[in-house]
Amino acid sequence: MKVLLADDNPERAGAVARVLAADPGITVLRLQPGAFLADAVAACFPDIVLVDMARPDRDALDGIRQVAARNPSPIVLFVDQDDPAFMEEAITAGVSSYNVLGLPPPDVKPILRAATALFRHHHATREDLRQAETKLEERGAIDRAKAILIKQHRFDEPEAYRWLRRKAMASGRRIADIAREVVRKKEGDAG
Amino acid sequence: MTTPIRIGLLRLVDSAPVMVAEQRGLFSELGLDVTLSVEPSWSNTADKLAYGLLDAAVMLPPLALAAAMGLRGPPAPIIVPMGLSQGGNTIVLGNLAAPAANQSSGAGLLAWLREQRDPPRFAVVHAYSTHNLLLRYWLALAGADPERDIDTVVVPPEQVVEALAGGRIAGFCAGAPWGEVAQACGAGRIALGTSSIWPFHPEKCLAVHAPWAEAHPHALRKLLRVLLRAQILCDLPAEAPQIAALLAHPEGLNLPEAAVLAALPGGGGTERIHFHTGGAWFPARAHAVWFLEQMRRWGWLPPGADLEKVATSVYRPDLLAAAAIEEESLFFAAPGRVRPLALPEGMTGFGTVNF
Repeated sequence: MKVLLADDNPERAGAVARVLAADPGITVLRLQPGAFLADAVAACFPDIVLVDMARPDRDALDGIRQVAARNPSPIVLFVDQDDPAFMEEAITAGVSSYNVLGLPPPDVKPILRAATALFRHHHATREDLRQAETKLEERGAIDRAKAILIKQHRFDEPEAYRWLRRKAMASGRRIADIAREVVRKKEGDAG
Repeated sequence: MTTPIRIGLLRLVDSAPVMVAEQRGLFSELGLDVTLSVEPSWSNTADKLAYGLLDAAVMLPPLALAAAMGLRGPPAPIIVPMGLSQGGNTIVLGNLAAPAANQSSGAGLLAWLREQRDPPRFAVVHAYSTHNLLLRYWLALAGADPERDIDTVVVPPEQVVEALAGGRIAGFCAGAPWGEVAQACGAGRIALGTSSIWPFHPEKCLAVHAPWAEAHPHALRKLLRVLLRAQILCDLPAEAPQIAALLAHPEGLNLPEAAVLAALPGGGGTERIHFHTGGAWFPARAHAVWFLEQMRRWGWLPPGADLEKVATSVYRPDLLAAAAIEEESLFFAAPGRVRPLALPEGMTGFGTVNF
């Protein structure tokens, strides 16, 4: 069984390919960057296409039966109608699977399940990183805002922090947002 | 605490009403908590709407209809309570094809198409898109057979200019700002705007996850009211510079500003978007039927599909009417804003607005 994998994230694609290749019945083909997804499907005739949902060219597979009139094999989104929770999980993880019709229906679910798990893992790692970066950026903004307030109002540091917190509570917003505003206003005045 | 309403959109000028409503605080004015999600593809938007990972989205009407009919999976619970924009797409020809098509009728282009050894490739943004249906309609009007005379491929809007410049496609039909961008960088020439095929043609709509709409009728009504207000703002030429700046902002949609401005009301582009005038907000079932008829014309619908029935179940002007009544001041304040539905050349049987 041939699985075409369309994922430009080399690390994640490598992980998915390794897991699938553990099954001797599966051959994994990787989409070359820059290639039309639909062309690759027509050229290598896979049984299954696994697609990173963040790819904008995913639309090329949607309704391909109508678009690629010369392509003899219609391709359809794999949907497990009996398991909407699983479909939701795959979409949240960011991976979708297509079956190429006209071939004996392969057992897709274990493959999509494995890919979903790996995508979710990568997503979680990226989300952790993003949160850590946001926290750092927020701390920086609060420090800069405190410095500005100390200078403008002759506050000491706890007073500057209390000023930010009071403003945040009064407007129902976060301290970091108020701090960013103070910094922006200061930069606006300067510029 | 209420859960925020999740609204999906793509990086395109016609996402303006939702972006403007968020930026100007129009959602919070009516007490709505909204999270915007910029999606990479139409398929993502449709999948997330189908499974309730989005509550609402800026959508292509033919895709909303196709998803609801089950043409891309099991029938998806999606309804269309509102139109969001009219017009705004351009048919752009690469430098090889452009000289052949010096008339907007498409006759010159047809001769060129048939001179080529292989059918030239034309890109649209999705199979079930207004772009695909209008391009096919225009070609067929000139006597071409879109199945034989061109090879249709799907290319994401933001990659279409590069594909044209690189010679991978001969032309495309895509939404703003990509036609103006292609012309400005010399990759091709705008042959025509889709409004010259069908004046005031419906373009994007608001599609809603039906179970969400049923569970939150009040929130839905408020959502429609906010978008009505945002559409009126977006239609004012005086607002265009600010809206263009918002859509061009890296934290907005990061679109090229000059090309966005050209496509907004009052802009200097070949094709401009209408957000409110011409009844852009009205989800006319007659429009749904036109899209469905075109889909049937190209053999995409199962035999015996009841088009009126699909249009009636998916398009929900009754929901919009309830919201519009609450916003009645808008309509009394602007007499003459509602016009009869305009029709594409050669089409009959519409012209009445049916609630």
